[in-house]
Amino acid sequence: MWFRVDFSSHVPVYKQIKEKLKLLLLSGELKPGDFVPSIRTLANDLGVNVNTVARAYRELVAEGVLEPVRGEGYVVKRLNLNELVESTLDRFRNTVEECKRVGIEPERLIVLLEEVYGRRDDGSQCEGTREEL
Amino acid sequence: MVLSVKGLVKSYRKRRAVDDVSFQVGKGQIFALLGPNGAGKTTTIKCILGLRKPDAGEISIEGSYSYLPEQKELYRYMTVEKMVRTSESISRSFDARKAFDLLEEFQIPLKEKIANLSHGMNTLAYLSLILAEDVDLYLMDEPTWGLDPLMRSKVIEMIRKLPQDGKSVLYTSHILSEVEKVADVVAIMVKGKIVEMDSLDNLKEKYVACVVPKGQKIDGYLYRSMESEDVYVVQKDKAAGQVQPADFEMIFEALARGVKR
Repeated sequence: MWFRVDFSSHVPVYKQIKEKLKLLLLSGELKPGDFVPSIRTLANDLGVNVNTVARAYRELVAEGVLEPVRGEGYVVKRLNLNELVESTLDRFRNTVEECKRVGIEPERLIVLLEEVYGRRDDGSQCEGTREEL
Repeated sequence: MVLSVKGLVKSYRKRRAVDDVSFQVGKGQIFALLGPNGAGKTTTIKCILGLRKPDAGEISIEGSYSYLPEQKELYRYMTVEKMVRTSESISRSFDARKAFDLLEEFQIPLKEKIANLSHGMNTLAYLSLILAEDVDLYLMDEPTWGLDPLMRSKVIEMIRKLPQDGKSVLYTSHILSEVEKVADVVAIMVKGKIVEMDSLDNLKEKYVACVVPKGQKIDGYLYRSMESEDVYVVQKDKAAGQVQPADFEMIFEALARGVKR
C-alpha cells in the first residue's frame, strides 16, 4: 500500500495515515473484513517510522475502525465517520473563512457547491460541464 | 535502555558547551539530537564515548556501539578496499561482506584512494564501515553531511530499518532533512541545553504560530520580526493574536534561534 505522506505539513504524520485509511474505506478500496498491511509493512511502504504507523493503528482501534486479530494483524471493522466528518468540516470552514476574507460573495460558493454536488436550483442534474461563475 | 545520559555538563574554558543534558535511548529507538552549529551536539556524543571528560553527569551504555564522527577522516593514502580490510583486522564485530555490499550500493569504487573521494563519497564510505559493524547502538554525528538527495534518502532508509533488527540509533543533525522524520524522538539542543524533546508528531500538535502586534508580550519563541508585527511559535494553550498552524521547520527555527519572551 502506498500513498503520499506530506512530511513538511503541520498535520502530524500519524494523523495523515489515519485519514488516508479512512478515505480508502469510504471509497470502498478497503472493506470490512479486509486485513490492512502489518505495521512494519506499511512503515516500510511509506518510509516512515514504525511507531508512527503503530500510533495510527492504535487510535483507529480505539475508534473502532480496526480490530487487532491475535497473531494475524489488523482487520477492518467499520468506518466511524464522526471524526472524519468533523475534521473535513473543520477544513471546509477554514476555506470558507478564507473566501470571506478575500471578499467572495456567498452566492458564488453556493453555485460552486451545487456544481460539485451535481445539483441545480430546480433539482435537475448538472451535466458536469463547468459553467461561468 | 541502551543509553542513558543524566545531568551531563562539559565546559571548554569558561564556556559551557553542554549544560545539564539528560536523555535516554531505548532499545530499537531512533533518537535525533538536532540543533544549530555550536549547540553542543558533538561534545555530547564525545562525552558519551569518553573522548571528552565530562565535568559532571552520569553516562551508561548497555552493549556494543559504533561511531561515525563529525570529521569523517579515514586514512587518505589507503584505497577503499584496504580500509575495509584494515577495519576487519581491528574490529571483531565488523562484517567485511556487508561493508562491500554497502559500498557497491553507494557506488564507491573499491580501488580508489580515500584522498580522491569527494566529500559525499567519503561520508558514504565511512558510513559503510560503521553500518558493517554488528552492534547494539549506532552513534552518528551528521550522517547525511554532503550527500545528494538521492543518497540521503538511501541512508535515511538504512537508518530507519536498523530498529527492525533491534538496533538503536543516536544521530545528530543541524539541517532538517528526511532524517528527522524517521526519528522516534527528536531533541532540540540550543546553547548547550535541550529545550524540547518529544516525538515529531507531538511537537507539531503542541505548537502554533501567532502573529501579534509588535512589542506585545507573549510566552513563546520569536520566529520572525516585521515592521509592525512579530511572529511567535508558542505552545497551543498560550496562543494569542492571529493563530496559524506551525510546521516542524518553523518550530525548529524559532526554538533554535532561542529568543524567548
